[in-house]
Amino acid sequence: MPFKKTPQKFSAAIKTVEIGTGDRKIVLGGESVMPLYSFDGPIENAPKVGVEIVDTGYADAPEGLKAFYAGCDTMAEQAKKAAAMEGADFLCLRFESADPNGADTPVEDCVAAAKEVADSVDLPLVIMGCKNNEKDAQLFEKCAEALAGKNILVLAAKEENYKGVGAAAGLAYNQKVGAESSVDINLAKQLNILITQLGVSGDSIVMNPGTATAGYGFEYVVSTLERIRLAALGQNDTTLQMPIITPVASETWGVKESVTEEADIPEWGDRETRGIDMEVATAAAVLAAGSNGVILRHPQSVATVSRLIRELM
Amino acid sequence: MALKGIDIFKMSPKKNCKECGVPTCMAFSMKVAAGALPIEKCPYMGADVIAKLSEATAPPMKTIKVGDLSMGGETVMYRHEKTFVSKTLYAVSVSDTQENADEVFEELKKVDYERIGEREYAEFVFVKHDGDTDVFVEMAKKAAATGRQVILDVDCPVCAEAALEAIKDAKPVLNGANAENVEKMNELAGKYGVVLGVKAEGLDALYDLTAKIEKMGNKNLILNASTASVKEAFAETVQIRRAAVKNTDRTFGYPVLVNTAALAPGDQAMQTALASLFTMRYGSIIVMESMSYAQALPLFGLRQNVFTDPQKPMKVDPGIYPLNGATEDSPCVITVDFALTYFLVSGEIERSGVPVNLLISDAGGYSVLTAWAAGKLSASTIAKFIKEADIGSRIKNRTLILPGKVAVLKGEVQEKLPDWNVIVGTREAVELVQFLKEFK
Amino acid sequence: MATLFERVFKGSDEMVERAVKSLEEVSARYSDDTAVAFPDTAYYLPCIYAMTGEKVTNVGELKNIMGWIQSQMTREKKTHDIFTSGIGTACAAEVIEACKYVDGQTPYDHAPLWGHCTDAEVRELGVPLVTGDIPGFVVLIGSAPSDEEAVATVKSYQTKSIFVFLVGGIIDQVTRMGVQTGFNVRLVPEGYDLWAVSHVISVAVRAALIFGAITPGDYDGIREYTFKRVNAMVNAYEPVDDMTVACGAGAISYGFPVVTNDDNDMWRVPMSLIVQPDTTKFVETSLEARRIKLKVTNVDIPVNYANAFEGEIIRRGDMQIEADGSRKDCLELVRTRELPEVEDHKITLIGPDFDEFEVGAKINLATIVEVAGKKMQTDFESVFERKFHAYINCIEGVMHTGQRDMIRIRVSKSAYEAGFRAKHLGEVLYAKVKGEFDAVVDKCQVTVVTDPEKVTALRKEANEVFDKRDARLLSLTDETVDQFYTCIMCQAFSPSHVCIVTPERLGLCGAVSWLDAKATNELDPSGPCQVVPKTGVIDENLGKWEAVNEAVAKYSQGALDNISLYSIMEDPMTSCGCFECICGIEPFSNGVVIVNREHTGMTPLGMTFSEMASMTGGGVQTPGFMGHGKHFIASKKFMKAEGGVQRIVWLPKALKDQVADKLNATAKELYGIEDFTSMIGDETVAEDPETLVEFLSGVGHPALGLDPLM
Repeated sequence: MPFKKTPQKFSAAIKTVEIGTGDRKIVLGGESVMPLYSFDGPIENAPKVGVEIVDTGYADAPEGLKAFYAGCDTMAEQAKKAAAMEGADFLCLRFESADPNGADTPVEDCVAAAKEVADSVDLPLVIMGCKNNEKDAQLFEKCAEALAGKNILVLAAKEENYKGVGAAAGLAYNQKVGAESSVDINLAKQLNILITQLGVSGDSIVMNPGTATAGYGFEYVVSTLERIRLAALGQNDTTLQMPIITPVASETWGVKESVTEEADIPEWGDRETRGIDMEVATAAAVLAAGSNGVILRHPQSVATVSRLIRELM
Repeated sequence: MALKGIDIFKMSPKKNCKECGVPTCMAFSMKVAAGALPIEKCPYMGADVIAKLSEATAPPMKTIKVGDLSMGGETVMYRHEKTFVSKTLYAVSVSDTQENADEVFEELKKVDYERIGEREYAEFVFVKHDGDTDVFVEMAKKAAATGRQVILDVDCPVCAEAALEAIKDAKPVLNGANAENVEKMNELAGKYGVVLGVKAEGLDALYDLTAKIEKMGNKNLILNASTASVKEAFAETVQIRRAAVKNTDRTFGYPVLVNTAALAPGDQAMQTALASLFTMRYGSIIVMESMSYAQALPLFGLRQNVFTDPQKPMKVDPGIYPLNGATEDSPCVITVDFALTYFLVSGEIERSGVPVNLLISDAGGYSVLTAWAAGKLSASTIAKFIKEADIGSRIKNRTLILPGKVAVLKGEVQEKLPDWNVIVGTREAVELVQFLKEFK
Repeated sequence: MATLFERVFKGSDEMVERAVKSLEEVSARYSDDTAVAFPDTAYYLPCIYAMTGEKVTNVGELKNIMGWIQSQMTREKKTHDIFTSGIGTACAAEVIEACKYVDGQTPYDHAPLWGHCTDAEVRELGVPLVTGDIPGFVVLIGSAPSDEEAVATVKSYQTKSIFVFLVGGIIDQVTRMGVQTGFNVRLVPEGYDLWAVSHVISVAVRAALIFGAITPGDYDGIREYTFKRVNAMVNAYEPVDDMTVACGAGAISYGFPVVTNDDNDMWRVPMSLIVQPDTTKFVETSLEARRIKLKVTNVDIPVNYANAFEGEIIRRGDMQIEADGSRKDCLELVRTRELPEVEDHKITLIGPDFDEFEVGAKINLATIVEVAGKKMQTDFESVFERKFHAYINCIEGVMHTGQRDMIRIRVSKSAYEAGFRAKHLGEVLYAKVKGEFDAVVDKCQVTVVTDPEKVTALRKEANEVFDKRDARLLSLTDETVDQFYTCIMCQAFSPSHVCIVTPERLGLCGAVSWLDAKATNELDPSGPCQVVPKTGVIDENLGKWEAVNEAVAKYSQGALDNISLYSIMEDPMTSCGCFECICGIEPFSNGVVIVNREHTGMTPLGMTFSEMASMTGGGVQTPGFMGHGKHFIASKKFMKAEGGVQRIVWLPKALKDQVADKLNATAKELYGIEDFTSMIGDETVAEDPETLVEFLSGVGHPALGLDPLM
């Protein structure tokens, strides 16, 4: 009796969301199979890899990463370098310094930096804030305005500020809206519904249903993403069919495995290698669980993960 | 579909003899249904009933044992359906012609540590046959001497037998049988009582070969995923699991070995990425060229998360955890022993740079609110912990910061610990950085 | 007396006439291909573009559009004709204004007159309108009775974050009083002539085009959007002429209420055209007519307010005053009122304030929160009331326990010294009730009573309310309601578990009753509690409905497709992990054993609570075993399909004592059994099945005589 293959193809599909314009624009989503299961059916739009650029610079970065951006004084200069990375599909500007409890960089300065980046590279742009809900809402509104027509994704609207972010990015300036919830399928669903009720169309929303670093409660991330995908495809739950994007770098480069200097724990070895391995392992795992796009920091991570995706397609 | 406890009870002797070690037949039946006890434990079940129940309760995928290690026995596709049974195991690959093999073995031994009550190390050495019989045997001996389990990756029956004979007490995995050597290899596996690894190009051939070996009476197998390409390896691993678990096709009801060393030779980062992918997706043994700390830290962390039982939360040991060089004069932050809470809170405290004694109290491994709701985190438990762990004499500082989510406990805790200054902290761990900086 | 039809038709004819005249003047000086455009907009002449889809860009096209405007002036005496004429009037007004902008002229200099608002300004205004940070905008037309009142009205709107446009004489009134104007201070003088109001309509329709993505020319789509989403209002001071009435008709057609103090020949239309003779009440009347709820952002009290104070204990020695329901009459109560009966944010104190009592005094205290709202239901009263404990406890220096008329509130000396007084209790409750329940509460007022006699009288009244509520709870049965609710709050822990909450079966955690679920659904419509219609009955005895099965399948993401609400043997409801109790069948006595979480000892099943929990949780159906809330034990629906409560053979003693009254009542009512709990075993009687059966036989427990459970 020969082996009987039973492809698991669903009649429902993940919505497609375009980010960016022109030749370099990217499309997230569209598949009718579980993540990376190209053997079950075609995956027209392979998952995408973005490069994170942080506005606080790379003073504390490991040597290799520091060297990569050496000589770059502005985000725009960094963006040009990042855009040339092997495997970079889009760029993500993270305005960590906007945090009112930190450097509190004014919104105008952030917007100016974003604008300069947009003028110097043609890759699609994702804008991340500083995790302060109020400041982020202002930042996203102003970035959405200043980058009108660039079809950017703001990452992200949360339950606390979705009205302002959704109205500005999704309605006033026709950009794409990220919907960020904290590792719970029902919260993800509810936020999608709320943003949709605001008037933002379902194909302008990309979800970030929460993330973590491998080893740090990552099981919740796995199950949340898998359940979202199963509900979207298997149950045809239209409120969960938005593509998923996962900012990996901002999580993994903050844990002690990536931060601790070699001098402090010599047996752990080179810090940069640790950071890269943590980043690629986490990225591969979220892609397997359901992400349509990951945001990474290190050039080697970007190259490795984009190659992994290519080989799986 | 697995049998329900009630169905099993109906077939039980219903005499509550307790000879199985359980007080009642009902309790026994429930445990059998949950897979916690084998049906054979009951001395009064008829043979026909046992046969019927064994068949019905047998998992769709066999559990294969190598030494103390178990693989397979899986029952579901996704961890939210039911806890995965056997965690992914890792192997470090050496070729018998590899010149720096000794170094590899040395490095291998260095990565062996504990993480939340679990020993983390590469469980296997994967010895690849590239040279002649003698060097293979020598390398097998060295591999066995590491104390790790050994996988002999060899398709020449003569070499295989020599190596098996040399390290027969180690009970290595014999990897493996292919269409050409299957009779001979199967015979060897039988002779030495070892697990046989099966290799074939493509799922159809693998299926046929496995069926053939089963017909020879051997069901102590592991299956090799393709080494032709990442795409093939992934497609095969997922489809084997699906066939076994969803379609209960028992021919594919075996654990799968994935060789990333062969899929991405020389590329450490790619091997890490692949190991992560196959830890998520059904690899039972993942072979890599190395298991450095850089690779181990994310992979073992991931594995621990993916294979955790949601009903048995991961716990850290209660006690004092001095962070950022805290001394007996540093303030205390108290929280619960749920591993995730510990990681989040300690991570944020570390980020703040403020010296703090993190006190972990025994709360049954629940998160703050769950523990509070279950009565496992209360003014009494906190006071009891402070007293029993003798915090008072080990730390001079008398500031105790409570989780913001249990602000409601403040008054009572203050009452029970009058010489402490009880302060309500933040509701979320991420707000701690700001809180501690201002507090300082 | 002229009818509303006559006034609107006359007024709109006048506006069209003026538009024609303006066009004639423009035509005399400019050729047809001279550009006509408002600055910085992608929406041409927005009112016209939105309603017709026509892109007017030059004088010729402007002339052509008059044909469409005139076609809107139908004259049958129907509401429809009023509406089309009104919108036609607004478009005609836009034509007049557009004529001022011909050939790139800049008729307004923003000092102070604004005229056209750019797209950027609309977007800037639009975002806070969507978020509710700006709850709405109003246009004031004409002149207020006095300069002072003009300013007072404008300020009143501004303090409520309402954006204000001015048209007509009021512009001079506020300028004379030195009030600053401009887009940045949210007070924009449009122009002196009535037709300048078209710039305000232009903002409203562009909101629909930009934020609602409505297709230009989708006449009804625009109106639907502005009606549903654009919170605009019109205030027209007397004298109101026909043209203003016609513009008002346009506003009403877009869904914006018009409030005026001119009652000459004015036809009242409820919630749309409102005569309010007292101009000082324009603000309140307008907000109510447009159903605008104001966000409450801060709690205005002299001490801190935070979650961190929730667990404070105030000792006798630190206490300034105390209200103790067990010694003196006290109470807390929420009442539902009609909208006109409640004045929002009114805090009233009846009786002496805290500073009129001696230190350490025990006082009488009644706190009555009256709420009104279109979606408010009396069933929510108890849901709000239960939150008072947390609300008041979060005040620094104030401690609260209990509920209804058995409360205790202590105010500390330090809070008192910081200035905390009786009215501040009102401020806190106002802010929290309004903030947290804004989905159903439109208006809220609080009365704090310390007068002993009054409180005593109020307590009597309150007890009647409480009795009524309890009676309502008792009368709520699964049969008397037509919908159940899901609860999926704990899916984070138990992914495929869905609770179906019915009046006689609360959530298995014991924390979510049918009323709670109902309130949660109203307050958070996309939240964890969703309506399950009680339709498609399959088997009433087992408690099976098609709609229930569909809901279970949907919210368990397909993990389950079938449950019986009243059976523990056939497709019982699943359990998460947070159930208060578990019941499991005890085959030897033909009944069930129930054990609660607090009981750690052995049960006659041979399993402890935690052993049973580990086999029953996780959202998997386990026939014969089921998690449930304590209150479910005495429910008439408790395993009704298998014979109901008379199957209960064993309960831990503490739990038995807790549920005895209600359980005995149920057993008596349904099966005529007296003192049923005396027949139920507990840990003092038996912890193994043999001893239990012996006991049950001795007392003649009914389960022994029932049909075999399996």
